[in-house]
Amino acid sequence: MSLNDAVRGNSARGLSLMRSVQSRPAGDRTAIARLTLAVLALVSLVALAVSITTGASDASALNVIGALFTGSDDTALSMRDHIIVFDIRMPRALLGFLIGAGLAMSGAVMQGLFRNPLADPALVGISSGSALGAVLMIVLGASLPPALMIALGAFALPIAAFAGGLLTTLLLYRIATRGGQTSVATMLLAGIAISALAAAITGILIYMADDKQLRDITFWSLGSLSGMTWAKLFAAGPIILLALVVVPFLSRGLNAITLGEAAAFHMGVKVQRLKYIAIVSVAGAVGASVAVSGGIGFVGIVVPHLLRIVIGPDHRYLLPASALFGGVLMLGADMLARTIVAPAELPIGIITALAGAPFFLWVLLRDRTRNGW
Amino acid sequence: MITARNLTVSLSGKTIVHGVSLDAKAGQLTAIVGPNGSGKTTTMKAIAGELPSKGEITINGHALGSLEPWQLAVKRAVLPQAATIAFPFTVREIVRLGLTVGPNRHADRIEAITSDALAAVDLSGFAGRFYQELSGGEQQRVQLARVLSQIWEPVLDGEPCFLMLDEPVSALDIRHQLTIMQLARRYCEGGGGVIAVMHDLNLTAMFADHMVMMKNGRIERSGAPADVMTDDAMEAVFGCRMRINGVPAVGVPFVLPHTASA
Repeated sequence: MSLNDAVRGNSARGLSLMRSVQSRPAGDRTAIARLTLAVLALVSLVALAVSITTGASDASALNVIGALFTGSDDTALSMRDHIIVFDIRMPRALLGFLIGAGLAMSGAVMQGLFRNPLADPALVGISSGSALGAVLMIVLGASLPPALMIALGAFALPIAAFAGGLLTTLLLYRIATRGGQTSVATMLLAGIAISALAAAITGILIYMADDKQLRDITFWSLGSLSGMTWAKLFAAGPIILLALVVVPFLSRGLNAITLGEAAAFHMGVKVQRLKYIAIVSVAGAVGASVAVSGGIGFVGIVVPHLLRIVIGPDHRYLLPASALFGGVLMLGADMLARTIVAPAELPIGIITALAGAPFFLWVLLRDRTRNGW
Repeated sequence: MITARNLTVSLSGKTIVHGVSLDAKAGQLTAIVGPNGSGKTTTMKAIAGELPSKGEITINGHALGSLEPWQLAVKRAVLPQAATIAFPFTVREIVRLGLTVGPNRHADRIEAITSDALAAVDLSGFAGRFYQELSGGEQQRVQLARVLSQIWEPVLDGEPCFLMLDEPVSALDIRHQLTIMQLARRYCEGGGGVIAVMHDLNLTAMFADHMVMMKNGRIERSGAPADVMTDDAMEAVFGCRMRINGVPAVGVPFVLPHTASA
């Protein structure tokens, strides 16, 4: 692979783009990492712009925005276009980007914390906890006090999913922590058990559900970015954004922890505090994402994995790059989801899994012998 | 100086180390030897602050418990017995992890120390290789370079720094065993201190200033190698009758690191 060749100093086969890296000392991927970050930032802006300007409708975002700036009251510019651009496409693009960024970065954090490239928020039960919360609300919501349901309104499902994810995580954390020390191995194993338990309870609820509820559950679990509103953006966005801002401060600690928790402590890291902040941030970001969009898989594993091949595992670059790449990937998948069968829409979770799983397998098989992971 | 007084360590209810007291002085290489399961590594981990223990541990007069992890990290660095890494780091990136804390975090210092540390463990030219592709002995030396870079100056702000090495030469060929032991010696000569858990008694005799012999979680003998390495001590600690400075009677060849010329 040409990028690896560039890293190893094989300039003959390295990309010409990476030639500048040759002047850096061997084994130093800082330059590639910075270049990748800059490219991803640029691509993110383009993806957001394309996402807002294209869609099933022919509404022109440029006309709408132009009208805002010139203040012209062009009658040709209908109210319909304004609504499509501002109230449908914009919140969808922004929230979609945030969800992709949150899921990808959460994956990178979990993999660093568990020192396992296959770790994923789904693995430790956060996703299944959220799913249980959502299904509980779909099936049993009708038996809650009507006043409460009216008060919660459209937020009932997101709140239930978020609470489910957070409660699962806190429970896991309690189980795995003894004497102030969180055992990562216990947490991983307990996560598998709790996932199974949550899936079983979800199964009971599905068994109890009527036909309409079953349809709701199915669509929710497939994952979708449709129906994103400014209200949902304001509900889930700040939580994801907070995690995106906090987590990069953990990168040096996560780098150290790849050598083991004891080694990280020897290198001056407050390991317990690092684990606590990382776990709560991930639970928040994933809970909020799953709450508004349902189950969108593979972003958390594929994105950090691909980036590690190019820029290496240094979390100072891996975490922000994962966030940007995850956001771009999510917008790309969403564009496919809403154009392939337009004017209908595919659930985006189907696209991420359909494209993500084979691609991931291909990368694994290709790199298996060389990198031994 | 690192001191431990009446150190007792229990792991899952079983007491592994019973009331151990030892001093590791700056400028000296202190070697801990003993049979498998005698508590050498556990003692070292307790002194490093990694395991909870009863008793008193001080580093340069500061109580261990009063120091934050980052304060400890500039006074001592620890080489673990084995380290597996799940991610494809290059050798240079691993060594640079050692420079996360401390006074050498400026980019130019990082470059210089990374190269010097790799040269010190005889791995110049390995910086661009992937850690996972190296042999066990090479990985051990990369880790040592990382540990060394963490406390590159043997004396920082007038206080000695300490290398804590758990079996630093266990996976190495004889030439590199000597390289690494000489490196530890130089660190002591620079004013720092070294505590090493050792299995090779010949290398210990050659390089250690102070030798601590442990058995069943207690210190059996301690002192200069010339004083403590006796026939009786060997049998008492290792349960094996051997003659110090004895030459084998029959014609099986033997080779001692003592005879190596630089």
